[in-house]
Amino acid sequence: MFDDFNLIQNLINALQWGSFYALIALGYTMVYGVLVLINFAHGDVFMVGAYIAFFVASFVLSVLGLPGWAAFIITIPATMILTSMVGVSLERIAYRPLRRKGAHRLYVVITALMCGLILEHANLAIFGASRKAFPPLIEEHVYHLGGVTFTNLKIIVICAAIMSFLTLQWIVTKTKVGMAMRAISYDKFAVPLMGIPIDQIIVTTFILGSGFAGLAGVLFAMSYPILEPYMGALIGWKAFIAAVVGGIGDIRGAFLGGFLLGAVEILVVAFFPSSYRDLIAFSVLLVILSLKPTGLFGIAKTTKI
Amino acid sequence: MLLSVENLIVKYGNIQALHGISFDVDEGEIVTLIGANGAGKTTSLYSITRLPPPEAPRVISGDIKYKGQSILKTSPDSVVKDLKMALVPEGRHIFGNMTVMENLILATYSREKDADLESEYKRIFKLFPRLEERKDQRSESLSGGEQQMLAVGRALMTGCNFILLDEPSMGLAPVLKYELFRTLKQLNEEGMTILLIEQNASLALHLAHRGYVLDTGEIVAQGSSESLMNDPKVKKAYLGG
Ligand SMILES: Nc1ncnc2c1ncn2[C@@H]1O[C@H](COP(=O)(O)OP(=O)(O)OP(=O)(O)O)[C@@H](O)[C@H]1O
Ligand SMILES: [Mg+2]
Repeated sequence: MFDDFNLIQNLINALQWGSFYALIALGYTMVYGVLVLINFAHGDVFMVGAYIAFFVASFVLSVLGLPGWAAFIITIPATMILTSMVGVSLERIAYRPLRRKGAHRLYVVITALMCGLILEHANLAIFGASRKAFPPLIEEHVYHLGGVTFTNLKIIVICAAIMSFLTLQWIVTKTKVGMAMRAISYDKFAVPLMGIPIDQIIVTTFILGSGFAGLAGVLFAMSYPILEPYMGALIGWKAFIAAVVGGIGDIRGAFLGGFLLGAVEILVVAFFPSSYRDLIAFSVLLVILSLKPTGLFGIAKTTKI
Repeated sequence: MLLSVENLIVKYGNIQALHGISFDVDEGEIVTLIGANGAGKTTSLYSITRLPPPEAPRVISGDIKYKGQSILKTSPDSVVKDLKMALVPEGRHIFGNMTVMENLILATYSREKDADLESEYKRIFKLFPRLEERKDQRSESLSGGEQQMLAVGRALMTGCNFILLDEPSMGLAPVLKYELFRTLKQLNEEGMTILLIEQNASLALHLAHRGYVLDTGEIVAQGSSESLMNDPKVKKAYLGG
C-alpha cells in the first residue's frame, strides 16, 4: 500500500483539511489568551457561520439572481461580519455579566457549553432536523499535475487559512489593539491603567475569532455542502484540541495544531481503515501533550492572572 | 482643588479598609501619603484611579472629585484618557511578555491623533537612558529597577499631567532611588502634579510639598512636609526617632 502513497497529494489534502481546524482553533486560542476562557460555544459559532453562509448565498443567488461568483464574493465578507456579530452577542449576553460579577471560571465555562447547546437546539427548533444542501457557488475545476489531483476549491481553502494567519499575526504583533490583547493575557489588571477600555479589546477578540469561524463555515459548506445543526460539535472539539496541542493562547500554535491534526487524520486514513481515524489521531495528540503539556508553542507562564 | 477625596469609606467585602478619609491635591503640587503596611495607602489610590469590577475596592460613602466633579462613576480607562491621571501601581505590573518599546507604545493607546509621540519617547529615553539601551528587550528580563523606570515611563506616555505613584522606590538601590526622586522633582518643575505613596517617609517628605499620615484607614496627621518632619509623633513612628 506504500506504492500508491503520494506525499504531495496527501500534503495538499492535509493542508486543506487542517485549514478548517486552524481557522476554528484561532477563535479558541484568542479568546483563551484574552479571557482565560475556554469558549466551548465556538464550534457552534462555526456551525452558525455555515448556516449564515447558506442563507446569504441562497438570497444572493435566488432573490437577487446574481451569478455564483458574485454570490461567492458577497457571501464571504457578509458571513464573516454576521458571524462575528453572533460571537459579540454571546460575549455581551452571556460572558460579560458573569465577568462583571467576578464569577468563578468554572461557571463561565459551563455557560459557554450551554450557549453552544442553545445555538444547536435553536437551530434545530427553527429550521428542523432536515439537512440543508449548500448551493454551489463556484464551478469546481479539477487539476492534475504529475500524479497529484487538486481542485480550485482546495487551493482557495488553503490560501484563505494562510492569509488569515498572516493577517492575525500582523494584528497581534504590530497594532495597538493586538498589543493590548497580548497585554491582557499577561496582566489584565494593568491594561485599563494604560487608558485602554478592556471591554473594547475583548469585543475585538470575539469579532476576530468569530469572523474567522464564519470564514471556516463558508468554506466548509462549499467543500462539504451538507449542513446540519450538529456539524460544529465534533469539529469544534477537535479544533479546540488542536489549539491546546499547539499551545493555547498562541496564534501560531493554533495554526500549527490545526494543520498537524489535519495531517495526522489524512495520514491515518491513507494507511488504515477510516474508522481508525479519530482513535489514532487523538492518541497521537495525547502523546504530544504528555511530552509537552504546555503545547508546542506554549511557554510555562510564570505570571498568570 | 484638582483632586479632592472627601470622607471616603471603602470596603473589600466586609472588611473596611478606609474609615472616612479626606485629602486633596492641588495643581502643580507634590503630595505624599505615608503610613505603615496595611494603612490603606494603596486602597486610596485604587479608589481614585478606579479599577474594573470585581477587583475594585467598594466605595461605601464619601466622594472623590476631580475639578469639583465626582468621578466615582468614571471608568478606569477614562480616568487616564480624559482626566489625564496615570497610576504607577504597586508591584509595577509591566507587561513582561512585550518589549520595552511595546510597553511604551501600548501606553499611547488612547492618545489624541496629533500627539507628537516621537519627541515624547525621546523625552522618556532622556529621563531613563537605560530604557533606550534595552528598547527591544523583553521587559520581563529587565532588572527590578529598570522595570520601575519602565513603569514610570509608561505612565508618562499616557500623556498624563497628574501622576500617582505607589511605592516607586520599592526594591531600588539607594542610588537609583535618589535618581528616581530627582526625576520626579524635575517632572514636577515641568508642571506635573504628583501624588506619592511611600514607606520611606523621610525621602517622601523631602520631596513633597505637603503630606498626610495614614494609620489603619484613618488620617492621623497632615500638613506641610516641614511641619510633619518636625512633628514628634510622626518622627517617632515614621522617621525612626
Ligand atoms: N483585595 C483585598 N481584599 C481584602 N482586603 C484587602 C484587599 N486589599 C487590601 N485589603 C486590606 O485593606 C487594608 C489596606 O490595604 P492597602 O493595600 O491599602 O495597604 P497599604 O497602605 O497600601 O499597605 P502596604 O504599605 O503594605 O502596601 C489592609 O488591612 C488590607 O488587608
Ligand atoms: Mg500598598
